[in-house]
Amino acid sequence: MIVSVVPSQAQEEHAAMSAAMSGATPGQFAPEPVDIPVIELVHPMPGFPSERRYTLVKLDDDGTLCALRSLEREDLEFVVVPPLTFYPAYAPEIGDDVVADLGVEQAADVLVLLIVHAGADLASTTVNLRAPLLVNLATRRAAQVLLDDPDLPVAAPLVA
Amino acid sequence: MLVLSRRVGESVVVGDDVTITVLEVRGDVVRVGIDAPRSVRVHRAELLAELASSNQESASPARDAVASLAQALRERS
Repeated sequence: MIVSVVPSQAQEEHAAMSAAMSGATPGQFAPEPVDIPVIELVHPMPGFPSERRYTLVKLDDDGTLCALRSLEREDLEFVVVPPLTFYPAYAPEIGDDVVADLGVEQAADVLVLLIVHAGADLASTTVNLRAPLLVNLATRRAAQVLLDDPDLPVAAPLVA
Repeated sequence: MLVLSRRVGESVVVGDDVTITVLEVRGDVVRVGIDAPRSVRVHRAELLAELASSNQESASPARDAVASLAQALRERS
């Protein structure tokens, strides 16, 4: 299933949703980042097993750069970006388990964010395409989802 | 750690609904099949370790690194 891409449609079954999503145009219906006071991770991020509650804060007006800040550990934050500006064709496929975990009812609710590894300069800054953070804006439940596609790198250049 | 010996075609059952079956042994490669409900996430350990270290390296970047990244992106657009 392709989450970032589909117009809202009433779908009763996840299976029906998966089928409806597979032909859509990447990026077209992806929601843009907004400030979210509390995001609950349904599974903690690998490497940070104790932190589950975060807040999302836009670092610029258009939401290209955002901060995902822990509400439980003051010094913990991640820089995240929506993929559209940098990887317009990026369309992660997620399974029914993730759909169920996040309580996704329509793909248009799912905000896709890439975790940024800030390098010394723009050229050495990378994003994780293999494990995006998916936020269901309707439930504010989120997870970093490890995708099955082995061709997606954990460290891809932010800008080519 | 529980250690069990199994032959090809034999299985172990974990909990109520996870079954791991040895499918093939060839040299130092063992192929296993994992039958689990979709709610049980199954990943190669080294991939999870790579993800954990990537997250740890990405976490809490220096303030000036974030500022210069924001600046570079503004100049680019």
